[in-house]
Amino acid sequence: MEPTDSMNDNIIEVKNLTKKFGNFTAVNSINFVVKRGEILGFLGPNGAGKTTTIKMIIGLLRITEGKVIVDGMESGKFRKRIKEKLGYMSQKFSLYPKLSARENVEFFAGISGLGRVEISKKIDELSRIIRKDLIDHSVDKLPPGIKQKVALFTSLIPKPEILLLDEPTSGVDPEMRRNFWQDIYSLKKEGKTILVTTHNLDEVEYADRIVILHRGNIIVEGEPAQLVRQHGVDSVETLFKEAVKKDERN
Amino acid sequence: MKGIKPVTRKELYHILRDPKSLIIIFIMPIFMIFIYGYAISFDLNNINIGIIDYSKSDLSEKLQGKFLNNKYFKLAGPKADDNRSIESYEKLLKSGELDEIMIIPGDFSEKVKKGTPVDIGFIIDGSDSNTANIIYQYDEMILMAFIEDHQNIRDMLNISTKIYFNPELKSAYFFIPGINAILLMMISALLTSLSMSREKESGSIDLIFISPIKSYEIIIGKTIAYIFVSFLVEALILLFSNFWFGLPIRGDILTLFFFSLIFIFTGLSLGIMISMVAPDQKTAMLATLLATMLPSIMLSGFIFPITSLGKVLRVISSIIPATYFLKIIRGVVLKGASFSEFVTDGAILILMSIILIAVAAKKFSKMRKVAG
Repeated sequence: MEPTDSMNDNIIEVKNLTKKFGNFTAVNSINFVVKRGEILGFLGPNGAGKTTTIKMIIGLLRITEGKVIVDGMESGKFRKRIKEKLGYMSQKFSLYPKLSARENVEFFAGISGLGRVEISKKIDELSRIIRKDLIDHSVDKLPPGIKQKVALFTSLIPKPEILLLDEPTSGVDPEMRRNFWQDIYSLKKEGKTILVTTHNLDEVEYADRIVILHRGNIIVEGEPAQLVRQHGVDSVETLFKEAVKKDERN
Repeated sequence: MKGIKPVTRKELYHILRDPKSLIIIFIMPIFMIFIYGYAISFDLNNINIGIIDYSKSDLSEKLQGKFLNNKYFKLAGPKADDNRSIESYEKLLKSGELDEIMIIPGDFSEKVKKGTPVDIGFIIDGSDSNTANIIYQYDEMILMAFIEDHQNIRDMLNISTKIYFNPELKSAYFFIPGINAILLMMISALLTSLSMSREKESGSIDLIFISPIKSYEIIIGKTIAYIFVSFLVEALILLFSNFWFGLPIRGDILTLFFFSLIFIFTGLSLGIMISMVAPDQKTAMLATLLATMLPSIMLSGFIFPITSLGKVLRVISSIIPATYFLKIIRGVVLKGASFSEFVTDGAILILMSIILIAVAAKKFSKMRKVAG
């Protein structure tokens, strides 16, 4: 049993987490924590194992070895209760393209068990977030930034304490990206914990702490500013490149 | 049960806004029925008949006339009064110039007048058994008509064959109910298998998996949506067959609709089952076509009668859903058969559906409980 204060501090604890696909080790016995109320940036090049890790945390992928503890509950034993705490925005799929923003929200609210009154409340909220005339456009005709907002909105429908965002800003222009991060910030202010993966290094400054994953291993972990100072580099980007290079030499 | 409605609604929106899918679902059946009803026709015209008339009487000439004054038969080979040997006609049969030889015996007219039974000989090219069978049936049909014309000889020709339900032997009547059954199976199975594998492929299944919705709610929700779509397809097929090909619906339309719904349910269940195993849409599509088209066409009695199948194939035939629906639809549409005659067939289809959907639901929740 973990000490109580650590249970309160660390809302997610990942211990010796390993995922093997046949002979290929996608995630190699990694350890890290996500602190309650923080934004953790999960960085790494494509194929580093970010999505695999997130999917194991959320329970969409079988864990080969190790464990994930969410708010003091081990993932294998409390799957249902853990799910209630997690919101997920997937890199691969966020919204049904042929449905409008409104219909997507209605669907996700419906399968989350919301009643009719609650659903229409959600639609009201949605109309405050995006322009009213866009609400009934089919999603595949919406600009990426708007889509992003709607996707984030739907992932918040179950009122999760923790948000797992997998590459939420890929394919979105810098302006929209800044907007998006503002939204993430206000969510943090509401007390939500956010784990966000990205391969855009200019986004690192937004995170309270970062974890850099490369080929299934954690190669850097810490607060961005502190890391830059420690390693005597000019930016996290340089740090990232050097760390990846160093890891590849080993 | 709260989760069913949003799933049903989402599926309906999605399919009805997807022109590509709509074309496949609604245009393809029309196209297929058109092909089977029209282009692929078992109706034979211009059968080359050689006639050897030893009787050379008024009556035998009348019989000749009966055979030749229609679109089915065409006189070929030597002239009827040429007095050639049977062998020379047989040669023409071998070379394919003739499809059939009719031999009217010398005592034809006398025997008929005297009231003694008389045999008329037919030699049919049997190298294509299907065609031979049809020619034989045409022969009987024309002889029957000949007898009708000559009431006085009614008892002399020993023909007892009658053709029920499709006396004109229109192949469209034979084909359309069959292709209807196969199309309905294929489309309903495709709808669910593609829908589920699309969710797998796009990753939307992940979002559904982490939501609190129950696995059975997803399956039922999808099934309801596609029962609706498939039923529209069935209505369209029946309407088109009726208006275009004049296919009669002699039985009770509600009986047909009732069993159609059961059959659709079987198809949808099969599709869901397939999508549990298939990793993506392409595989699901191929697997569904293989599982529905081929066995349904070959072994359901659509083309080859089940009685002509070997023991092993007959067992396989008995586990093909289309076998049962084919019996039902041909029965109701062509024979005017009633509900009570198909209770067992309906029950078998329901049983099949329940087994399929139970196995699929189990696989689905297993897929969902992947972590831990």
